[in-house]
Amino acid sequence: MTHYDFEVTGSKVARCHIKVDMVNDNFLELIGEIIGPPDTAYDGGKFKLEINIPDTYPFNPPKVKFVTKIWHPNISSVTGAICLDILKDQWAAAMTLRTVLLSLQALLAAAEPDDPQDAVVAKQYKENRKTFTQTARHWTNVYANGPHRECELEKILEQAKNMGFDEHKARVALSSSDWNLERATESLLTS
Amino acid sequence: MSDEMKSQDSDADSDYDQSDHMDDDDDYCGYYDNDTDDLDIDKPKKSDDPEYFDYELLQIEDVERFLNEEVEVLCSSQKILPSLAKMLLHAHDWKKEYVIECHSKNPSKLLIDSKVIPKVKFQQPISGPSLVCCVCLNQVSREMLHDLSCGHMFCGECWDAYCQVQIQQGVTLGISCMAKDCEVMVPEDFLYSVLSKPDLRDRYSQFSFTEYVKSHPALRFCPGPNCPIIVKAKEAKAKKITCNTCKSCFCFKCGIEYHAPTDCDVIKKWLTKCADDSETANYISANTKDCPKCHVCIEKNGGCNHMQCSKCKYDFCWMCLGDWKAHGSEYYECSRYKENPNIANESVHAQAREALKKYLFYFERWENHAKSLKLEEQTLEKITSRIQEKVMNSTGTWIDWQYLLDAAYLLKKCRYTLQYTYPYAYYMEKCARKQLFEYQQAQLEAEVENLSWKVERAEITDRGDLENQMDIAEKRRLTLLKDFLDY
Ligand SMILES: [Zn+2]
Ligand SMILES: [Zn+2]
Ligand SMILES: [Zn+2]
Ligand SMILES: [Zn+2]
Ligand SMILES: [Zn+2]
Repeated sequence: MTHYDFEVTGSKVARCHIKVDMVNDNFLELIGEIIGPPDTAYDGGKFKLEINIPDTYPFNPPKVKFVTKIWHPNISSVTGAICLDILKDQWAAAMTLRTVLLSLQALLAAAEPDDPQDAVVAKQYKENRKTFTQTARHWTNVYANGPHRECELEKILEQAKNMGFDEHKARVALSSSDWNLERATESLLTS
Repeated sequence: MSDEMKSQDSDADSDYDQSDHMDDDDDYCGYYDNDTDDLDIDKPKKSDDPEYFDYELLQIEDVERFLNEEVEVLCSSQKILPSLAKMLLHAHDWKKEYVIECHSKNPSKLLIDSKVIPKVKFQQPISGPSLVCCVCLNQVSREMLHDLSCGHMFCGECWDAYCQVQIQQGVTLGISCMAKDCEVMVPEDFLYSVLSKPDLRDRYSQFSFTEYVKSHPALRFCPGPNCPIIVKAKEAKAKKITCNTCKSCFCFKCGIEYHAPTDCDVIKKWLTKCADDSETANYISANTKDCPKCHVCIEKNGGCNHMQCSKCKYDFCWMCLGDWKAHGSEYYECSRYKENPNIANESVHAQAREALKKYLFYFERWENHAKSLKLEEQTLEKITSRIQEKVMNSTGTWIDWQYLLDAAYLLKKCRYTLQYTYPYAYYMEKCARKQLFEYQQAQLEAEVENLSWKVERAEITDRGDLENQMDIAEKRRLTLLKDFLDY
């Protein structure tokens, strides 16, 4: 059952900005990549995915998670775990890895905050959309090589770094507290 | 203990319970069952008894026969195949008459709602003698492809592998088509036609039988460990079932331990509460506060800290829970709170302590009766062996001493009901009815303790006195159940 190797090859892939590579010489561990869709906070970012194919594939869904850190309501900012129906009960055997990657791209374009994986991100998405978009763009820039910088946020991050905090930890704390330096510092000190 | 076996005999032409009696290693039990027609302690028979319930204890084969009969009725009335009839019944909680009515009126609507056929059939473009199976992407000839009513075609090997994986994962009646967004279910006969492994066929039939029983409102598996018995009753009521095989005593509606007079939802809430140590924390962190005067639960709405209890009209401050009169005109800020931000927490803590005290009051009694019940189990054993001794020494016959055993059984039953009155009382709102309940509960408790005292000293207690006490305790129990058990 190696039907997926037919699927994700050639020019089609280039057009959709998705691709799949093998990790070893087996088909059970794969690395996927999707490009963030234009006109979103993820625009131009390259997001790497870890894909594990179960023995029972395609009768059970592949196990997929983000390797590249990402700020998104349906993806854990800590583990990269994804909350997406087709990776769970809505999976159908006739689906392919291509379907999965395209669905993930669609998820980046349209989050579903009412079925969140990351509660902190989902809350920000619902209550403070502007900050959410800036944060997501900043993460895309830093972790996924996205082209858009968020100078305002970088300045605040610089301040936290100057206080001696680790850059990534400071970014997480700031992102989780709507870039309020005082609150972020407090959570960094108490954790 | 198992008088229902006799009543079972009459309605179900079963011979299994007799052999069960023989296997029973409790001697007294066999004696008790066969020779005491007049004593009926565990299964109420009269229909004015609040615990009376009409049910049958069936074996798997009996239930298979029963389900097949239901299927047969639908098949012959609507001229459909058993495989389809089963799907339709399962999809509609086995409401046979309803399914028949819907099927006669508008069969295609029923079939779509039951996920037997799709809203729109998929037209597979067929070009040439072979096609590509969308799952394995192999080129296969037309006759190797199979589809459900939806028209999504896949090769036989993929269907086989798919069904195998599903059955191995415990899915049987919920297997749907392999196409994306297609909800059409795989019927039993289709599954059997594609499945290659005979052992999985057996597994499928076992699992699906289990699913059918679980979905049928008139059936319930006995919850006893590894017990094969299935209970059948006409109505899904919260009534007492006593299994003749494993002796479990459970509620027909929810399947957990019998819990009258408490109802199914309340007992679940109570058991969860008892298991959940974090309960105290919940009180403190809750978004609501209790009125400091009448303890009714109040939710804050709006920014004003001046609260008025909707029930007792007490005016108080949200921040410190103190009397509002002491606050003057400072509507948006509480000076008592400013001085000591902990003040509200302190009183919230105090409330939590109150709530905890109330809970512990009921919990301790609940626990205490549970423990006594275990001790009474031992008393029962002791009495049994002592009666055996007496009979061996020719100090009277079993019939002479039977009343001791009856007393011990009755005590257990009364104590059991008493135990389950505590969750009921805990969740009851303060009112006249609660007063009546707690009065009757106290009466029952007193008589249960009297009975317990006399049973422990049964051999030196006068028989008449003991039987009189049994009568009083059981009357108290029945009065309480009659007044408070919903039926
Ligand atoms: Zn195939
Ligand atoms: Zn289909
Ligand atoms: Zn049983
Ligand atoms: Zn119940
Ligand atoms: Zn009040």
